[in-house]
Amino acid sequence: MVSHELVSITPAYMDVANSRWLWLSTVPVVLVVLMQAAIFLRRAWNDGREMGLSEEKLKTGFKTGVISAIGPSVAVLAGMLALIATVGGPVAWMRLTVIGSVAFELPAAELGVSQFGYSLGDEGITEQAYATAVWAMTLGGTGWLLVSAFGTRHMEMVRTKISNGNEKLLPVVSAAAMLGAFAYFLSGEATAGTPETGSIAVGGLTMLGLLHLADSRDVQWLREWALGVAMFVGLLVGVAIRVTVGSWW
Amino acid sequence: MGNSQNKQASESQTADSSDVYTNSFVPYVNKWGRRTNFLAVGLSLGPAVALLAVFGILPPTAAIVGAIVSVAITFGWDWFIEPLSYYPVLGIPGTYMAFLSGNISNLRLPCAAAAQEASDVETGTPQASIISTVAIAASIFVNTAMLGVGAVALVSAFQALPELWKNALESYLVPAVFGAIFAQFGRDYPKVASIGFAIALGMTLLLELGYLAFLPSYPLYAVIIVSVFGTTLIAREMWKRDMISPPEADE
Repeated sequence: MVSHELVSITPAYMDVANSRWLWLSTVPVVLVVLMQAAIFLRRAWNDGREMGLSEEKLKTGFKTGVISAIGPSVAVLAGMLALIATVGGPVAWMRLTVIGSVAFELPAAELGVSQFGYSLGDEGITEQAYATAVWAMTLGGTGWLLVSAFGTRHMEMVRTKISNGNEKLLPVVSAAAMLGAFAYFLSGEATAGTPETGSIAVGGLTMLGLLHLADSRDVQWLREWALGVAMFVGLLVGVAIRVTVGSWW
Repeated sequence: MGNSQNKQASESQTADSSDVYTNSFVPYVNKWGRRTNFLAVGLSLGPAVALLAVFGILPPTAAIVGAIVSVAITFGWDWFIEPLSYYPVLGIPGTYMAFLSGNISNLRLPCAAAAQEASDVETGTPQASIISTVAIAASIFVNTAMLGVGAVALVSAFQALPELWKNALESYLVPAVFGAIFAQFGRDYPKVASIGFAIALGMTLLLELGYLAFLPSYPLYAVIIVSVFGTTLIAREMWKRDMISPPEADE
């Protein structure tokens, strides 16, 4: 499976993380996602016909769904590399097919290994620290699942209730909490060394530039690719700094 | 009876179609959506259980609790705010499907919107919700397959990389992603972003220099709590004083 001369310095938990058992353990939940998609699709198709939607329109809807999913999926795949490098293939695949996105899974994994004083990418991350990352992603992701499972029926009511208050404050509070949390992740990485700081700064600036371009020219695909591109530019700058000036702290 | 129903249907198609939608489609979707999403909660434990059962790896309870509390502090708001804010666009079936399958803003929403546009249905109508359901289902099949093939291929590619690049990927992809996402959120609230970063950097330095050692156990939680809640409180005060406002036009 894995040739050992190649993985000698790679953390030991990676053998476990990419093992056949972990691939197998991801299958049931992915099957549930596919099953839900299949039964909703069948019902939507039949009821849609009854509602007077032509076979033509339904097919167009399906085809557009397929085509529109290809570009973003490739973009997600690029972002998945960061997860594959840190938590292994099976978990990366499962978390990005089900529930998650790179923007949640990576921080959740970081919070997991940080319980042992590690940061993702550190040498010597133990199997226990890795397992904590898996638990953090899994249990953290259930928040959305539970709210959608039991809350969707009540959404309409809740929305009207909230909008009686100051609904404008909600996005502000939510964005501020997110910024505070990511600021914390950033400072953890920034204090790790100069290359990391360079990766952060350039990753962020690239993102700003691409999103600005996407907005001003209204280019949707650029928005989808922004994270993937920013990630790679940031990576290259990190490597460049390490092989040239090294780390100053 | 059948005749009069047919006649009615042709006379007032919209009224009839919303009947099928509210009396047949929505109850079915609510029933199965609830079941499948709840089932997924249990099955998503797969890898964690495999680590325990096959490899005997179980982290100490304190570590799991610490990690969950940190995740809840960081993302707890979003568990409620995201479903509430995407619901008007996704509709009832789309909400179940999108929160089960993830990648909502970058994948499910664009697919649903593009399909509604292509099928020429009016947004917000039952017909639009049906088309969204069809399109999101299609996107789930496509992205599951593509990510599956891609993951296997990427793992082999990653393992074949020279050590320098493997280390580089492990070390520098994560900070680049964090920087990019911080920039994405910070774009709308640059003042809040700078304040948040100053607080978090200050707290991290205090932690690393040992000034937080008076707190029990490893005081990482103090850094997270002060960063998240400090930034939130300051943003609230700024909002009350009209110093910041949410972006006007949503994408």
